[in-house]
Amino acid sequence: MKELLVIFISTILINNLVLAYFLGICPFLGVSGKLASSFGMGMAVTFVMTLSTTICWLIYNLLLVPFNLYFLQYVVFILVIASLVQMVEMFVRKFSPMLYNALGIYLPLITTNCAILGAALFMVSRNYGFIESVVFGFSGGLGFSLVLLIMAGIREDLKFCDVPRVFRGAPITLITAGLLAMVFLAFTGLLNG
Amino acid sequence: MGTSLIVLGGLGFIFAALLAFLNNKLKVDEDPDVARVLAVLPGINCGACGFSGCKAYAQKVVEERNIFNGCLPGGGVVNDKVSCIIGLDAGQNSDIRKIAVCKCMAGDINKRKSNNYSGPLTCSAANITAGAIDCVFGCIGYGDCVKACPVNAISVKDGRVNIDADKCLGCGICVKSCPRELFSIIERRAESVYVGCNNKDSALNVKKVCSAGCIGCGICQKMAPGAFKVENMLSCYDQSYKGDESKIEIAKSKCPTKCIYDIV
Repeated sequence: MKELLVIFISTILINNLVLAYFLGICPFLGVSGKLASSFGMGMAVTFVMTLSTTICWLIYNLLLVPFNLYFLQYVVFILVIASLVQMVEMFVRKFSPMLYNALGIYLPLITTNCAILGAALFMVSRNYGFIESVVFGFSGGLGFSLVLLIMAGIREDLKFCDVPRVFRGAPITLITAGLLAMVFLAFTGLLNG
Repeated sequence: MGTSLIVLGGLGFIFAALLAFLNNKLKVDEDPDVARVLAVLPGINCGACGFSGCKAYAQKVVEERNIFNGCLPGGGVVNDKVSCIIGLDAGQNSDIRKIAVCKCMAGDINKRKSNNYSGPLTCSAANITAGAIDCVFGCIGYGDCVKACPVNAISVKDGRVNIDADKCLGCGICVKSCPRELFSIIERRAESVYVGCNNKDSALNVKKVCSAGCIGCGICQKMAPGAFKVENMLSCYDQSYKGDESKIEIAKSKCPTKCIYDIV
């Protein structure tokens, strides 16, 4: 139980996929313009990441390991993630039009989100067990959502700031992201002390 | 080599089959009219109709059997075709034109400014500090709407919003751009007027901040009953009024602060 809690907290705060490993930067910069849409994206990523790490763990340990096919993991994981997102999209579209309207446009974006693939690969390289993988996927998605929401909040307020002309638009966003990463660096010693 | 081919090929095949199966099984039935409307629309997703894109517009059109403001880039021809598909008389909708009006027509000389505002020169920024003008309802005049207007129909001169009636399409993008929600979209009829003030304060407080504001005296209501209504110390013109036009003219001339304006 303690192990799981450590994974949960460290994935969200210390080893945040976005700010510590710089994965999933594209949606982090692209969908963080408004709080509402970043919440939708965050929830969609959390959902898909949990599901994809679960399925990837099963396929890796039940199929790739017995046949000694470790080198296939990249291809297989991409295959799994892409088809999984498509299936989720179909299910959501059929059974919950409301949720589809809220998440629909973000789901195809997630197919190529490297944070999802990153989570699956980390899970393998860190030798997580099944439950640990599920918790890791879930907390990775939550960490992504947290950072995305913080960024969206900052960027909504940035609109009212008198930013110097040369920094307007993308530059100030990247500077903000860098400062945010440094802030998250402060969590490094959280579990040691 | 052999096993890897089998495993990867097998996985690919399983997923492909699963997707094909689910695609068939979970098909969402869409009204065929939506596809037909979508085929007629220009497909440039400009958003001028007030929806997020052509698809959203087509769905709403079919759902509510109403073409709303119509498609602006497509113009009359497209709107007639869309009307045909959803069973409305062609031409019935395409000649209704709309126009935006600004509910604050006070100029710089009318509006009192007791603070020296030096923040970013956008309305949305000035609105949260409440510094640029004393009136908390009226037009700040930094022109967020000017930047938002897709056809450059809006200009700000002497602190007053001017809307070019020839250019304005009535798309409603300015409505969303104004932090004080001063714009409204009304039908373009020659006799229509509107009240160029948004201040819901009492007469005394209006007079303190602006010399061209509606003081809620109710003279227009007495002169043209049914056309004007005073609520919350602010007069409002009923756009569906079909009564005597001369009464509106009288009300306009009797207004003590002259804040009733023609739409063009």
